[in-house]
Amino acid sequence: MLAFVCKRLLQSLLLVVIVLTVTFFLLHLAPGDPMARYFHPEIAPETIELIRERLGLDRPVVEQYFKWMGSFIRGDFGMSLQYNRPVRSLLAEAIPNTLRLTVAALILHIVLGILLGVISAVKRYSPFDRVNTVTALFVYSIPSFWLALMMIMIFSLKLGLLPSSHMQSIGAGELGGWALALDRLRHLVLPAFVLGVASAAGMARYMRGSMLDVLREDYIQTARAKGLPEGKVVLKHALKNAAIPIVTLIGLSLPFLLGGAVVTEKIFSWPGMGRLTVDAIYARDYPVVLATNFVVAVIVILGNLLADIGYALLDPRITVTGRKGGR
Amino acid sequence: MTAQTPQDQAQARSLWSAGWARFRKNRLAMTGAVIVVALYLAAILAPLIAPHDPIEHGEVPRMRYLSPGSAHPLGTDKFGRDVLSRIIYGSRISLTISFLAVAISVVLGSLVGAAAGYFGGIVDSVIMRFVDALMAIPRLFLLLTCIALFSRSVWLIILLLGATGWMATARLVRGQVLSLREQDFVKAAEALGAGGRRIVLRHLLPNTLTVVIVAATLRIGGIILTEAALSFLGLGVQPPTPSWGQMIFEGREVLLGAWWVSTFPGLAIVVTVIGYNLLGDGLRDAFDPKQFA
Repeated sequence: MLAFVCKRLLQSLLLVVIVLTVTFFLLHLAPGDPMARYFHPEIAPETIELIRERLGLDRPVVEQYFKWMGSFIRGDFGMSLQYNRPVRSLLAEAIPNTLRLTVAALILHIVLGILLGVISAVKRYSPFDRVNTVTALFVYSIPSFWLALMMIMIFSLKLGLLPSSHMQSIGAGELGGWALALDRLRHLVLPAFVLGVASAAGMARYMRGSMLDVLREDYIQTARAKGLPEGKVVLKHALKNAAIPIVTLIGLSLPFLLGGAVVTEKIFSWPGMGRLTVDAIYARDYPVVLATNFVVAVIVILGNLLADIGYALLDPRITVTGRKGGR
Repeated sequence: MTAQTPQDQAQARSLWSAGWARFRKNRLAMTGAVIVVALYLAAILAPLIAPHDPIEHGEVPRMRYLSPGSAHPLGTDKFGRDVLSRIIYGSRISLTISFLAVAISVVLGSLVGAAAGYFGGIVDSVIMRFVDALMAIPRLFLLLTCIALFSRSVWLIILLLGATGWMATARLVRGQVLSLREQDFVKAAEALGAGGRRIVLRHLLPNTLTVVIVAATLRIGGIILTEAALSFLGLGVQPPTPSWGQMIFEGREVLLGAWWVSTFPGLAIVVTVIGYNLLGDGLRDAFDPKQFA
């Protein structure tokens, strides 16, 4: 087990290095001189050369690459061009907000997905199952930004039930305690729903299949033959086994959720990494764009690593070499 | 062209006609096919069926934000332009971009995946780790980064959507090639002295074609959604060319007063993506050999 964890850990580190390399060379492939924003009739060419030297831009590419990689790994992402603040402090503000939104969406994704999938599998070909399948197809085909606008139109503008933007009301900080928590929760409902519902549909579809496979296994027949009530068979015997692959699925859905957060955060004015990235792109604030990219990739790689380890812990059929043993 | 024996022809006919028969019996798949064909017709015949000019501004104070009615079935937008006509012309952007982008990613992914699967060993490891790394960055982040770094144009967006979407195809083809490589007909070709390139291009890739086509069809929906998201963020096709995502963006400020500006382009996207997904599911059920094993 330890060997497996170490191996996966090394692989993950390698992935981080490759991500960094790809980002670096993307930056260097891009047209334009990073010094271009200093070009100005009143700035002498010698001064520009001096700045270039000080920033290390006159060094060979390979040297720049290693220096850049070193500072990125230490968490030094440079200065934001648009805010004139260290990128690091911008990220420190944005990451917890994105995590709050993503975790809420992830919970919705898992709970709704498993619930609908299991009911669909147990009541296979029932009206519920059919409605569920059709709804899943529909939800899966909806652009998230359009869904967001439609939800805002209905629940915020027409019915006035839920707020349409930001993480809390203006001045909510003075509420304190439960009132503040409730206020924040109300702000979380729409963005988390928009972000989580599409992947919940995918999860339900997967869960239905996985559940149907397990329900066909011999040990389920045995459990039924022993006279266990059907509810217990489904929940204790079937669900437990059908849910193992879900651990990997959660890992796989992370990039999806974080990518979706870009659009969702922008629409709901949610001050997270997605909005930070989009605003940075409008302002051509490269250091911020590259840093959010890196952080998101690290979160995804970490999530997959944890999912793999969890999977290995839960499923005894996985051997330490990481290969699936015979069934 | 070598002459085909009667058996060959019978074999080929039965394989495709059997699949086609299965496909035709599937009502959902046929619905998807009809939607997709209708969309392409609408895109090609746009100048004939669109009731108004999609770009020319209307007489502004009088014609802006007209609610759906007989002259403008889906209403008009901020500049008095007919929403229906803009949706019809917008299909051109969605369909062209998604088709070309998928084509690029399928070709790229197939070649990379086949190379990894056929050569194996260190080549395989290096390629697949690289694929893993690219897949770790959420697609939209990767796209946004590239768009931020390079200047924007339709061709760049097609290229980027294609270049950031080949990884899944590469994995798929690699898996297929790994299992095909061990089969007798490949061993026979090797024994006859065929080189690596010939075996990959002539023997391995054609056999992965059905699986790849099915996967590509299913991916088009996702690409349409991504392109729409880019346009919505203002980073896709630039105005005045009508695109669905950008139309939804333009309507977001008048959601209450002129709900039709955002609602109908969104429905157009939903219908298109559903169409491709149904078509893809249907093709998979009809032609994927694993389905009827």
